[in-house]
Amino acid sequence: MEAALNPPDLRELPVLLRGEPEPLTAWIKQWSLFRLALNLSVIVLGSAAFGAAMGAWRAPQQAVYTALKFPLVILLTTLGNGLLNGMLAPLLGLDLRFRQSLLAVLLSYSITAAVLGAFSPIVCFLVWNTPAMAAHSAAAQAGHNFLLISEVAVIAGAGLAGNLRLLELLQGLAGRADVARRVMVAWLAGNLLLGSQLSWILRPFIGSPNLPVEFLRPTAFQGNFFESIGQIIRHALF
Amino acid sequence: MNDSTPPPVIAPSDAAATAADLAERQPIANSIAAFEAVLRQPRRIIYRLSQADAGDLIGRLILVAVTFNLLYGLVVGSFSGGVQWWAAPVKITGGLVVTALICLPSLYILACLGGSRATLREIAGLVAGLVALMSILLIGFAPVAWVFSQSTESVATMGMLHILFALIAVAFGLRLVETGLASFGGNATAGLRVWTLVFLFVLMQMTTALRPLVGTADTFLPTEKKFFLSHWWDTMDDSGRKTASQSGRAADTLVLPR
Repeated sequence: MEAALNPPDLRELPVLLRGEPEPLTAWIKQWSLFRLALNLSVIVLGSAAFGAAMGAWRAPQQAVYTALKFPLVILLTTLGNGLLNGMLAPLLGLDLRFRQSLLAVLLSYSITAAVLGAFSPIVCFLVWNTPAMAAHSAAAQAGHNFLLISEVAVIAGAGLAGNLRLLELLQGLAGRADVARRVMVAWLAGNLLLGSQLSWILRPFIGSPNLPVEFLRPTAFQGNFFESIGQIIRHALF
Repeated sequence: MNDSTPPPVIAPSDAAATAADLAERQPIANSIAAFEAVLRQPRRIIYRLSQADAGDLIGRLILVAVTFNLLYGLVVGSFSGGVQWWAAPVKITGGLVVTALICLPSLYILACLGGSRATLREIAGLVAGLVALMSILLIGFAPVAWVFSQSTESVATMGMLHILFALIAVAFGLRLVETGLASFGGNATAGLRVWTLVFLFVLMQMTTALRPLVGTADTFLPTEKKFFLSHWWDTMDDSGRKTASQSGRAADTLVLPR
């Protein structure tokens, strides 16, 4: 397939955010190295900005670590599941090549990262206004909880925006809503499975006042995300 | 060869509409014209944001916002006097500008997600219009605020009054943003609702981050970080205790000596 030798154009970002079906379908069908580079740049910059804001609450060093790790989670999840996603699409009725399925997932992550990047100044402001992590007063605890809820809400909203656009894109490519939904659910399940475990390995993202600031925990490769969730549920119920 | 086609007859209502359209497209030459347009011709502002001179217009709107905020800040500072004569105007103006800058990227992204074709410059212009209109309305409330500030000693009362005026000003400013987004296409209603909550939250928290705006303190900026609701609660609690202790002293003075 011939690579389109067009330089990247930042005006394509609003087109992506608006989810205009015709341009997006054309982008999927025509491979462009420059467009790939633009999407990767948006993913790295947007998620790094948000990651830095998250980590800044613990320490400036944690901000740097999280700015590096947040894009890594997204990119490693996309690459790790690239083969699987490329196989699932045609099996479920959507005739996409491997590069096309990879690009579709990257487009949705670009939207997510753009939303995260846009909200990163607000999260920075929240972090600046929240008492230090080590503070133990009731007001500080309320501030901590509010900050964590806000960060989760922004991540959830950004993910929702990216996935809604991905669903619209898949509907445009498949021509059928049921095929698009099947492929979407399959891709989401795979990405959630790999993404959650990568997040577990690459923790911490926010940090803890009782633990040192580290790029990775010494126990990064011991245990897994679902085991820890199971232990939390067991402790809560029994 | 003569053209026998009669000229089109423009009905009076059409003529008025055409004249209105023309008026709404006139360039905005200076800051006074920007001030007038924000109040009386918001569609003119919105139209000019799509033209080549949008950058100049945005600059004029920011100048209007800064000027009127500094003036309103004087009224706020008049309650406590002293350092607040200059600290309140600086903090209010700086805080509003920083709030607008913090919230601008999220408005652009949310507008795009809603299908809007507005450019970043047009969105920046709407935000500049929002803060300009807010500032103009706050000046309208300034005489009321000044009367209260000269007739009460309650920090909580004055704080709540200024917050109320700010919220009313924000409501009108957001109408301008909503009108602008509607004219740029798409359906950004849901996104604007989310952004409204974000903007209000950041604005209210900024007033706490830059405290005191009303009252006095030992430092220019606070040394303790607080959530704005917590700060409001503490301020009202303090005010209530002061009122109770003053009432107690007043009750003592009512006891007639034997």
